[in-house]
Amino acid sequence: MPGNPQRTNPNKSDNAEQSVPAPFPLDPSLEVNLQVLSHRIGQSSDIVVRRFTNESLSSLELAFIYIDGLVNADVVNQGVLQPLLETVQLKSEFISATDAFQMIKTQILPIGGVKEGNTLEALLPMLFDGYTLILLEGLQVGMAADTSGWEKRSINEPTSQGVIRGPKEGFTESLRTGTSMLRRRLKTPDLRIEEYKIGQRTQTGVALVYLEGIASEQVLKEIRRRLNAINTDSILESNYIEEFIQDGGLTPFPTIQNTERPDAMAGGILEGQVGIIIDGTPFALLAPSTFFNFFQSSEDYYQRYDISSFLRLIRYSAFFVSMLLPALYIAVTTFHQEMLPTTLLISLAAQREGVPLPALAEALLMELTFDVLREAGVRMPRTIGPAISIVGALVLGQAAVQAGLVSAAMVIVVSFTAISNFVIPSLAIANSIRLIRFVMMFIAATLGLFGIMSFLMVLLIHMAGLRSFGVPYLSPVAPMVPRYLKDIFIRVPLWDMTMRPKTILGEETRRQGEHQQPKPQGEDPV
Amino acid sequence: MNISKKNLICLLCLPLLSTLLSGCWDDRELSELGITSGSAYDWEDNQWKATYQVINPSSGASSTGGTGGGSTSSPPFVTFTVKGKTIMEAVEKTNLTSTRQMFFSHSRITVLGESLARQGVNQLIDMFLRKQDARETVYVFIAKGEAGDILDQLMQLTKNQGAGIQLMIEQESRLVSYYPGIRMFELAMALSSESGSAILPEILLTGREVMDETQETGRTDLKTRLALGRLGVLKGEKLVGWLSQKQAFGLSFMTDKIKTATIVFPSKPESGDKPDASFVLQKSRTTVHPKWENDHYVIDIHIKGSGVLSELGSVMDLNERASITEMEQALEQQVLELVDNSWKEVRKLGADVTGFAIKIHRSDRKRFKQIRKDKNWDRVFQEIEIRPHVSMKIERTGLSNKSFKSVHEK
Repeated sequence: MPGNPQRTNPNKSDNAEQSVPAPFPLDPSLEVNLQVLSHRIGQSSDIVVRRFTNESLSSLELAFIYIDGLVNADVVNQGVLQPLLETVQLKSEFISATDAFQMIKTQILPIGGVKEGNTLEALLPMLFDGYTLILLEGLQVGMAADTSGWEKRSINEPTSQGVIRGPKEGFTESLRTGTSMLRRRLKTPDLRIEEYKIGQRTQTGVALVYLEGIASEQVLKEIRRRLNAINTDSILESNYIEEFIQDGGLTPFPTIQNTERPDAMAGGILEGQVGIIIDGTPFALLAPSTFFNFFQSSEDYYQRYDISSFLRLIRYSAFFVSMLLPALYIAVTTFHQEMLPTTLLISLAAQREGVPLPALAEALLMELTFDVLREAGVRMPRTIGPAISIVGALVLGQAAVQAGLVSAAMVIVVSFTAISNFVIPSLAIANSIRLIRFVMMFIAATLGLFGIMSFLMVLLIHMAGLRSFGVPYLSPVAPMVPRYLKDIFIRVPLWDMTMRPKTILGEETRRQGEHQQPKPQGEDPV
Repeated sequence: MNISKKNLICLLCLPLLSTLLSGCWDDRELSELGITSGSAYDWEDNQWKATYQVINPSSGASSTGGTGGGSTSSPPFVTFTVKGKTIMEAVEKTNLTSTRQMFFSHSRITVLGESLARQGVNQLIDMFLRKQDARETVYVFIAKGEAGDILDQLMQLTKNQGAGIQLMIEQESRLVSYYPGIRMFELAMALSSESGSAILPEILLTGREVMDETQETGRTDLKTRLALGRLGVLKGEKLVGWLSQKQAFGLSFMTDKIKTATIVFPSKPESGDKPDASFVLQKSRTTVHPKWENDHYVIDIHIKGSGVLSELGSVMDLNERASITEMEQALEQQVLELVDNSWKEVRKLGADVTGFAIKIHRSDRKRFKQIRKDKNWDRVFQEIEIRPHVSMKIERTGLSNKSFKSVHEK
């Protein structure tokens, strides 16, 4: 494909095997070819087959096949039909089919991407990619011209990962748009984009994006191996890929990040991660990812380091609050009343006085109600949206307390937990602790603080054992590499981040020159 | 790994089962707890008579809460009085009358009746040290009559009476320094130390009636209030006598328990003994050095203090160094008198609340061992001679230099 020299197609043997019939080599007869074709793709209404015969002038017979809606009609008309029909040479009686084919390919078509194929199976996928097939009578080879152009969503602001300061564009459903956004950010010949087609029926385009020399070869090898091993009929969203390739299949913790933001992906790629863009979804993947990656937001690097560090600490605290607060409340109020300040205990006791449910049931009731509300808020048509907040705030916040169903403190606990959950920048890890929270609550209700601590230990051991494409999940904290802690719990000033986090990547560790802290030089200008 | 899926599931279920089997056995819902804020112990008819003050959460003892249901007329706490041959028997008996299980972890004070203090407190201390939810950090008080009556008294401004009394003693020891607040573990430590004596502040009712009805706290000036009184002196495990507040103050100087205190003194020798000036002692340090002289111990007590003049009733020019020195000497004289007065009473009681035994043990181990062996500490204690050396410094004289009286008389 001349237009995109970087685009390679290293492999697709695995999933092509299961295509239904044996490959059909093109027949010299155009009629036969068209019949086989129509047999293969049926009489779908969006498939346009046009035959041109020009008996008076030439024996040349050709057929155009394209799929309406996948092609740009202007390009088909002006780039394919018009030049072909208007070129005088083709109307000559004496031109042979082979010469005509060469002429069309090299001189006539004003289109960048023109491919050849001599079996139907080679040509069909192109048809579905928006190419226009050109078949000539008497030739056993067909041509495909890139006329693709379908309706796309324009580039919008990311809906789930917004920032105050920073680029406002997000990936779209189009793979090519995605790769172009990355190219615009990483103008280096080292940027590699490998493309795969995964899914026997969906033939979804999956692009592996990385920086040669910065991404670890081992990780790349492993990702390629896992991508190639996927044997499924459909890939409709990046989570399909994520679940097929991520480590630790049953862990509640995500080991692959997803992002809607090209800048976040560029940042990850620059640190040695490998990006995976999937056609049909604006959510791209970044791997390998450690636990701490999920607490880094791209905005951390777009505002001053001090406030970024502060916000990052807040996120870690929010993580623990979101996971532990209801459990701690249950544990303390049912087992460890002596730990509370007396005034608080009396106040809690006063609130619990009329509440009919034990603390666990109360907490479960409220947490589940919140999750129901949250889910309803997602599914609800936008016009009814405000109703949810009214119901949520009034019914849960106030009426439940006044009716004596739950205590006011529990409402505070649940709402603080819920709000904390939204502080975490990555929805993936926020969702994982949503579930852990419930386990924690049950354990707190049976074993108290002792149980909470034990379960935290279990979680910690589990996380320490996790790997994301060979990278320890808790690195660089466990195993501890103090040098690489500069961007984990706090973010140091950019000029101090001279090295890339070695835990993830291959050879090239230096990011920038040293000693770049701005200092006045010579005399003051004023 | 060679664990089959079935085994793995079993393996995962085991810890789950163990939590269900072993958990929950000691859970207590908040509504089942009787949060005890104070306890009082008396000795009556050769039995323990225990009084427990249980907080009534729905009275809004701390906040309004959300559930409502609490009426303002219900008392902030209720008291249970029970008798038993042992303390725990008495505690268990409360369950016969109360809907809630006694929960002692938030207990703030313990009041000992005089009857019990004369009987001995060892068993009580043992219970506090042994029982899991009893806290050794409770403040211990002594009451002249029935200790249980103290707990019935309602308080203004603080609804939780136990916590209120704790605040009182904490503020007293911080601002007035007549005596320090004594916690249960401090009592235990003092009684088990070489000196074998301890002090306990007295808590008393200022009037005869006990204000135990919620309507009565509606008045601005309660007829009866709780107040801190004298200082009880325990020797061995028994109450042997009392020190007045002044004597207690002197004791505080001897034992280095002064944090902030106000000393009144005569500003001029001419004004005689009538105190007409106040001094806020902000820093005070006492060092005690015992030494053996011929046949008895001499204790050097160095008291060094500094502070601010806060009140002056005589004509005086404070720009003169001499007048400051004069006042400092008067102050030192006051402290000396306090200490001497206190020491006389302590010696009379024969209880080493000054902690001299500890000092002597530390500085002169051999002789102290001998004294112990001969069991004549009491005699040695009686022969102790103290030599207090006081140095007081007025660091600042407040915001004005001349006394107002001198301005006025001009």
